[in-house]
Amino acid sequence: MKLIKQIRVIYLAYIKAVDVAFGYKKEKMVLKNLNMELSGGHFAAITGPNGCGKTTLGKLLMGILKPQSGKIFIEGKDIGQMSLGQAGAKIGYLFQNPAMQIFAPTVEEELSFIMNLKGYGKDVIEKEVNTILELLHLKEKKYSSTYNLSYGQKQRLAIGAILIGGPGYLILDEPTTGLDALRRETLFNILNDLLSRGTGVVIISHDMKFIERFTGRLFKIHEGQIIETGIK
Amino acid sequence: MRGKLLKPVLNNFDVRTKLAITASLSTIAVFVQNVYVLGFIFVISVLLSVLFYGSPLKTFKSTSKLWYIFLAIVILQSIFNRSGQQLFAINGFVLITAGGLLKGAEFLLRMSIIIFTATIVASSNYREIVQGLVQLKIPYEIAFMVSVAIRFLPLLRSEFLDVLTAIQLRGLDIKRIPVKKRLKVYSYILMPVVAGAVNKAHNLSIAMETRAFRIYPQRTSYLILKLGKKDYIFMVFILLFTIAVFISYYVFNFPGRVL
Repeated sequence: MKLIKQIRVIYLAYIKAVDVAFGYKKEKMVLKNLNMELSGGHFAAITGPNGCGKTTLGKLLMGILKPQSGKIFIEGKDIGQMSLGQAGAKIGYLFQNPAMQIFAPTVEEELSFIMNLKGYGKDVIEKEVNTILELLHLKEKKYSSTYNLSYGQKQRLAIGAILIGGPGYLILDEPTTGLDALRRETLFNILNDLLSRGTGVVIISHDMKFIERFTGRLFKIHEGQIIETGIK
Repeated sequence: MRGKLLKPVLNNFDVRTKLAITASLSTIAVFVQNVYVLGFIFVISVLLSVLFYGSPLKTFKSTSKLWYIFLAIVILQSIFNRSGQQLFAINGFVLITAGGLLKGAEFLLRMSIIIFTATIVASSNYREIVQGLVQLKIPYEIAFMVSVAIRFLPLLRSEFLDVLTAIQLRGLDIKRIPVKKRLKVYSYILMPVVAGAVNKAHNLSIAMETRAFRIYPQRTSYLILKLGKKDYIFMVFILLFTIAVFISYYVFNFPGRVL
């Protein structure tokens, strides 16, 4: 059963958009009849100029926004039939402002409270939290206040909090904004590490320098349509 | 067609006239405890709201969550007020009485009047509201605080909804977890919303200081509001109307008690 699931994740589309159209106003559509497929465990980037609908597409893929026509599937299941919680268990989403998705007063609590609410045992939570802290280079911040973290630390914490749910895919909206060269390198290494562990990553950004360091697929949004090109 | 019919038609009145209308009708709503008077004032409020602000549906939509709370209060009020004829009882335990229902209706009308009359002021932009308050001799700092609150309330609401979305995206099905745990989730939601509000207030105060806010005791303003003839007429009329309602209610006891 586990093998079948793994085969499905690798060879079938993990996220699939079919004839998706969306507009904030009916008379002006941001995205028109858009089709795309993202396989599990791979890297993809969505790029395009400001206001072209990159974030909108990310929110549609995540189920935060509902398409006006067309459908989106996660592992073959129509996202319209899923709650945000169910979609969130499959795909992790990093908002442009990571502070918006940090809820707890300390780093440790931030990583553990969802597992606590879901009723996991203390030992399991402790182990998972330590693994994530190690992966995201936040071990020394375990008992720190989340309010006093730097932007880069908040971003890594937000990624860690998403990862703790064990999603198969990550969608990161403009993850390099406000990061210096060192933090960008850290983020690059973390994402590479996640890809090697089989977690798919989609980056929404116009930071081509950062995107071009990965191997994967590149989607450009132009006048509401998506054009796929490979990363050079 | 419907949109055209419900567009505001009285949009060139001074904000002070609108403040006078809001203050007068809200005052009547607060002091008068008669369902007929409140019903009459409610009709006037909705009518004025449509004329000044536009579609009442817009008001209902933007305050949709509040109405649930009001309705819950109405039900509680009807249950706990035991005056008047019994209307509904279970095993001899009286749940709803005519007096309770009447009190509930009064409360609902009162709240509706306050919300609809508030939209009359909301038809002016925040700059006009500040200037209106300043020209009513209210200290600029207080007028500015009012305007900031008006500007930030919708932002705070959308931030709360965003954070609620973000927490669900952690794989948490809020509707499926027990109430006790749900309350815990809401306490977590408050953290980023409050932290965000504190940050915004801090940044706003820095921005204002750097632009020399309050450095001189006197402020000049590019926008100066002038009351026109129609403003004076409307204000006098609303004042006389308010006095007439109070005299008729308190002196002549008209209209009489419902129960």
